Amino acid sequence: MWLQLNINFSFSSLLKGSLQKLPLSVAGLALMASFTTVNAEVEQDELGPRIEIPESSGKSCVLPEDEIRRKHPDMLKHDRILTLREGVRAKADGNNLDGSLKQCINCHAIKDDNDQYVRIDNDKHFCVSCHKYAAVTIDCFQCHRDIPEGSSNFHALSGHKNTDFSSVTPGSYGLTVKDMANIAPEVSSDDK
Amino acid sequence: MTSKIEKEDLSRRNFVFGSIAAAGLTVAPGVMLYQTANARDLSKPVSSKVRWGMLIDTTKDVDWNKCVEACVKEHGLGNEEHSRADQRTQYIRVVDVKNKTTGYSMSLPVMCQHCEKPPCVDVCPTGASMKREDGIVLVDRHRCIGCRYCMMACPYKARSFVHETLTDQKTTTPRGKGCVESCNMCVNRVDNGQLPACVEVSEGAIVFGDLNDPESDISRLLAKHGGKQIRADLKLNPGVQYQGI
Ligand code: SF4
Ligand code: SF4
Repeated sequence: MWLQLNINFSFSSLLKGSLQKLPLSVAGLALMASFTTVNAEVEQDELGPRIEIPESSGKSCVLPEDEIRRKHPDMLKHDRILTLREGVRAKADGNNLDGSLKQCINCHAIKDDNDQYVRIDNDKHFCVSCHKYAAVTIDCFQCHRDIPEGSSNFHALSGHKNTDFSSVTPGSYGLTVKDMANIAPEVSSDDK
Repeated sequence: MTSKIEKEDLSRRNFVFGSIAAAGLTVAPGVMLYQTANARDLSKPVSSKVRWGMLIDTTKDVDWNKCVEACVKEHGLGNEEHSRADQRTQYIRVVDVKNKTTGYSMSLPVMCQHCEKPPCVDVCPTGASMKREDGIVLVDRHRCIGCRYCMMACPYKARSFVHETLTDQKTTTPRGKGCVESCNMCVNRVDNGQLPACVEVSEGAIVFGDLNDPESDISRLLAKHGGKQIRADLKLNPGVQYQGI
């Protein structure tokens, strides 16, 4: 058995040299995987399960893609403390899109061929697609809802309320093991 | 799903009520006001200037089961499939009490009493059981390890434990296996400037408001008619008070 890695990213900004900002977990796995890739006959670039990372509205996320990829765990953790324990429901800077999981789900929910939202047990689920690949178990959805509550039920504070989601077009970009191996791991945490 | 929320039987619960005095106070009908609605800046943490409370008039002829139903609907409860009836989550239940000497009987809704000095918070080893600055007592499920110490500590038996994997939770009420939960005073609605779900369907029998604001309906009603706390002798100063018990 050989490990085959070829991530299919939809974000064109990755092309522009922001690879070094990918999350540590993904980078680390790719690094490990690059050592265990032993099949010499096949070009490394051709290998691997490809994850389709679907795009959401095509409008802006709370942060640029390279930052949100790295920072989303910390943001979610930060906001869950603010929201639950302190009762803050919106960001102070007036930008109402915040690190709320509900907001992530509302924008990034994926539908299957039958026009049904895929749930957390489906590899196509936005969160699962990456985390499964990176072997990171996500516990969030043991409690949190994994799909939007209704297509019109957006976060009360959502800046995406008026977004036309019918114009969403998924794109793709191939990221190789070699690319991944070149990404320097960086550690950050708000656990102080 | 409401059929799963069983009425608690008398024997298990009547320890709470040593004696029942039928004061028979009536509150003006239709009081369901929420003056501070939307007054709060949602980008700021809640402050202890506000203390949310509820005043429940048990003398009103209201079907309290409607409150239970509203609660179940609001929080998406009752989706346990394998748990026994007495294991399923209850945020609010209807307690029937009877005075054996006089034969007088009555019903009242009991939920988390949102104690000012909550024993459930005192005993929690992880800080999961917590009181928000505005007096709402919650379980931070991110920190709950499911030890159920708080369930033992709560004198009102207000808490439930989720025994099984749940799906299809409400977005506004994340809840899942291995965590303790209880009435959260519909914190999601309150922060939105709405009344708690049970208050909304109570036909004015439950008044919600800020106990710290002397001008609020709840404070004025309490000033005029008084209110009773269940097990006031424990000095936990619950935010939920009753009339007619
Ligand atoms: S009623 Fe029970 S759960 Fe609610 S605050 Fe008091 S001790 Fe805690
Ligand atoms: S069950 Fe959870 S909330 Fe209750 S005491 Fe244990 S850790 Fe705290």
